[in-house]
Amino acid sequence: MEALLHNLKLSWFSIKRAPLPYALTLLILSLGLGTFFSNATLYYWMNRDPIPQKSATLFMARINSTPGDCTDCFEPPRVMSYMDMQKMSGSGIPSAEAAMFSSDAYAKTVENQQATPSQVELRVTQRDFFKLFDVPFLHGETWPDNKARMEVVISKNTALKFFSRTDVVGQEMLIDDKLYKVIGVLDDWAMLPRLYDVNGRRSAEPAEDIYIPLETAYDLAIQSNTQNSYFDVDWDGNMATYPQMARTNFANQLQFWVQLDSPEKVQQYQQFLKNLVADEKAAGRHTRPESNKLDNILDVQKAMRATNEQLDAFALVASLFLLVCVVNASHLSLNRYMANQYEFSLRRALGASRWQLQGQILADVLFSSVLAFAAALLFAQLGLWTINSLLPSTRALAGWDWQMVAVMALFVVLISYLVTLYPALKTSFSPLNQQLKQ
Amino acid sequence: MIKINNLSKIFRTDLIETHALRQINLQVNEGEFAALTGPSGSGKSTLLNVLGTLESFDQGDYLLDGRSVKGLSDRELSALRNEKIGFIFQGFNLIKDFSLFDNIELPLRYRGFSAAERKRRVEQALETVGLAARRDYHPSQLSGGQQQRVAIARAIAGEPRILLADEPTGNLDSLMARQVMELLEKINQQGCTILMVTHDPDQARRANRHIQIVDGQLNDATMYEPLASEPLVAGA
Repeated sequence: MEALLHNLKLSWFSIKRAPLPYALTLLILSLGLGTFFSNATLYYWMNRDPIPQKSATLFMARINSTPGDCTDCFEPPRVMSYMDMQKMSGSGIPSAEAAMFSSDAYAKTVENQQATPSQVELRVTQRDFFKLFDVPFLHGETWPDNKARMEVVISKNTALKFFSRTDVVGQEMLIDDKLYKVIGVLDDWAMLPRLYDVNGRRSAEPAEDIYIPLETAYDLAIQSNTQNSYFDVDWDGNMATYPQMARTNFANQLQFWVQLDSPEKVQQYQQFLKNLVADEKAAGRHTRPESNKLDNILDVQKAMRATNEQLDAFALVASLFLLVCVVNASHLSLNRYMANQYEFSLRRALGASRWQLQGQILADVLFSSVLAFAAALLFAQLGLWTINSLLPSTRALAGWDWQMVAVMALFVVLISYLVTLYPALKTSFSPLNQQLKQ
Repeated sequence: MIKINNLSKIFRTDLIETHALRQINLQVNEGEFAALTGPSGSGKSTLLNVLGTLESFDQGDYLLDGRSVKGLSDRELSALRNEKIGFIFQGFNLIKDFSLFDNIELPLRYRGFSAAERKRRVEQALETVGLAARRDYHPSQLSGGQQQRVAIARAIAGEPRILLADEPTGNLDSLMARQVMELLEKINQQGCTILMVTHDPDQARRANRHIQIVDGQLNDATMYEPLASEPLVAGA
């Protein structure tokens, strides 16, 4: 400990000797690290497993059910019809299953009807949604079945926003001027990335405000705000006929998720889909080639071609920028070390081994790491703010957990050591006599 | 104490080879005060650096206390320098940000002494060179002669067997040079072997042995009787 303090004192003396070059080195290094961290933060959030305890069991199911002949169309539609969803439900194989789509609406409380309604994000779904994705309830519970009912589950923030408290089970809300009763309030919950909704590249967005039963949404003609695909639909646009039309035509807007708890269950469900398609073909309905998809939740972004290439490009640029900064910082660091080389040579002459000099260099690295880490975090926050401004869909990805901070701290130490390594070696192995002869 | 046999040192560049030391044989016995003289470029500093293990050699052998330094690892050479050899440089080579105490303490840290032992040795060394009252001064607050005395204190604090001094009075005026020489003589009288490079014939005459080097070869024929010490000048 005493040696470390001594070496830190030496580092401080070294900084004081040439503060501007040191500050410049630190600035370049922390700028590179900050840029890298801001991109790494987004990359981490977008590529992490959001539900590691059960991600292996969650699958999005699709069948290649689109009207019309096409012998070489093997990619199933991204969203499915109500008819197909019904056929894929109720097999008894998944331990949970739910169809869903996202929408939006305007909401206000019954008590405050004169107020301007606030826009809210909706998730139209079925009762198992909360079980599928381990969504915690603070108060109340999910719907007892998948039937239409004027009941909603709301997020904790929504409860606080509209009622200024969380225990609002039994309270009523107006959503697009329709009256709903609150039957459940969720606890704090965020799924990042939101892999149950990668369609429309919205997986970086926060969880929804209000959850509405699927059948109710169909009855009230609430439609997806992400993707609607109509195939061979002859509809006059009369909203009164929408529920019937949407349930009996290829008015595709649903995604369908299942929980399959073992490889055997996966196999069984694949076989179930195969049999389903065979039956459909026999009935003359499934005209395209059989191409059932059962994509695991961790593969769904790739399967839906919903990866964010902008983030990948940012990550590449940030890595290259960090490399340039490291090379420049190393060059500046080399100049600083060479300016102090006589002191290293003197220490060697006085009996310090190269290994003991490494102790001094590690103290330099520690000193630089602490300062660079603090500055890099500031630059990273600035970078995240800039990226969030340029790409608003990434605004939910700006946070750090303690593990990320720990990894970033270790990374700073590693990079600081890399920056110091060549100058340190150069200094440690240079001829002693030339420096000491003045 | 020091024995070198047929030692040669060659500096090489892409274009030229310079034979700095040629087949040198030398023995320095314990307690000797030897002056190493010669014209510029004759190899005297190179020889001193080789003896101090700051510089390697190409041929021959160098035995310090009967042990060859050939093939020793960096750690072994560092320990040898730290424990057995004290260096005094023409330019003092003090660390300007350090106090006198910290400068003298530095080699003792590498030796692994406890803080108490380091303090005892530093205070003793400062006492020896007459700067005990200025332990917290910084080098820039001292005269050249005082700085060289601090450098000597640093060199002797580890109680080395041999002091290697490279023109220790080269940057000093005659009065301060005389004080430094008297200090070296005092240290030598306490049993420490000293090998000193100097240009100054008067300084060389104060040593009890004169070794001359010309074109990398030794002429070790002259032996001087030590001069009577002159008193130190107060207030230096």
